[in-house]
Amino acid sequence: MARLQINLDSEVPVYRQIVDGIRILLVEGKLAPGSELPPVRRIALDLGIHFNTVAEAYRILADEGWLDLRHGRGATVLRRDTPLAANAGRVQEFRHRLRALIAEIRSQGASAAKLSAELRSLADELKHEA
Amino acid sequence: MKPELATVLFPLILLAAIFQFMPLLTRRGIFFGATVEPGFLESGDGRRLLRSWRWQVALWSVVAVVAGILLLRQNPALAVVLPMSGLVMAAGLSYWRKFREVHARYGVSRPEIREVTLAPAGQQRPSLWLVLPPLLAIVAVALYLHAHWDRIPLRFPVRWATDGQPQAWASRDPRGIYGPLLMAGLLTSFLLALTWAIWRFSRNTVMRHVTVRGLQLLLYPLTLTFLVTALLPLTNASGRAIQGVLLALAGIMLLFIVGLIYWSYLRISAPGQMDEVPEPQSDSWWKAGMFYYNPRDPAILVSKRVGIGYTLNFANKWSWVALALLVLAIAASIVFGGVRPSR
Repeated sequence: MARLQINLDSEVPVYRQIVDGIRILLVEGKLAPGSELPPVRRIALDLGIHFNTVAEAYRILADEGWLDLRHGRGATVLRRDTPLAANAGRVQEFRHRLRALIAEIRSQGASAAKLSAELRSLADELKHEA
Repeated sequence: MKPELATVLFPLILLAAIFQFMPLLTRRGIFFGATVEPGFLESGDGRRLLRSWRWQVALWSVVAVVAGILLLRQNPALAVVLPMSGLVMAAGLSYWRKFREVHARYGVSRPEIREVTLAPAGQQRPSLWLVLPPLLAIVAVALYLHAHWDRIPLRFPVRWATDGQPQAWASRDPRGIYGPLLMAGLLTSFLLALTWAIWRFSRNTVMRHVTVRGLQLLLYPLTLTFLVTALLPLTNASGRAIQGVLLALAGIMLLFIVGLIYWSYLRISAPGQMDEVPEPQSDSWWKAGMFYYNPRDPAILVSKRVGIGYTLNFANKWSWVALALLVLAIAASIVFGGVRPSR
């Protein structure tokens, strides 16, 4: 069963955490096309956050082509064609964001060895999916 | 013991006993409504605070009992209400002071991490099969009474004095005969509505499972009491015998409730018992450790931190609407409700 976790103490906005969390489940195939997601009201109630926060996250995912939103009935995961290969600009942006994130976590005390191991583990997972 | 004295002492002693165990009816990691380390209750400080609470409540209970006995001579109508209200207020004050002490000296903060299963709402609906037998029993007894209408006396007693002599009577008419069944039906409907509201407006926690199941099971002794009451006019039993039956039913009800509370306690305090969707962790949402006030939380019903069941989110306007409706319903049932026996 796919589970979504958020941290209300985090500096990352809650709607962004929901978008990121659901997108990970979608990309990893834990939410298959045709799956029904709970209505906005239910998710907001269970997470103890405002309805609009969840609605915003669902809208972003719908704009990306992941979800089909139906009024009052939650959302359905859509079959999404494999996106085109990212262009050089997007890859550069991704690289920049990743480096900024690594610098931020290292400045908070995480060791380079630990981060390196985490990145290697993620790279291995990607290799398996490829 | 005189029956009048028993009516004063029994509820007071029951309330005093509940207060003695109240701090234990909580989830692990919560003590007097404050967030603490999961093993705090077993620590020296935890035991000391519990002992101190018990002594305080015992003292207030003795004062309430003495006040009740004294009032019984002066004003019997107030002999139960006043001491009980006083005991509740005194215990509430002691509880509030304990919450402040625990929160200030032993409180911990936990990260507000929430988790939810992304399953459609339909997969999480509670099963309702448990409520069917009591509903069918009400219908069956109604049909039985209808079939044996001629066997029911034209006038039958509905209230008895302590010596077993009838005090009030009812007539053989639909209101007199089907009144208890109607009450059972209304109570069943109310508990079903409450079950639905808890499922609809609360998070998917262990408390939700315990409360919904507990309400469904509570229907059994409640319905049994009303069904026996409805069938009493068909018996030719003496007042004493009927009083014995009613006392036995009250005993069954008490045992059932105690058993239900114990089962709930085991479920919510089990080590490693995790809510699928945890309730908000911060103590700052809990006023005096008892009243939940969180404007950011859309939930109307929130698991109580102490005791079994739910409390309202007082920052939600619908909580106040629900509270007002409940008060109106209670007032209406007092003013208009019940079968009014003739003397």
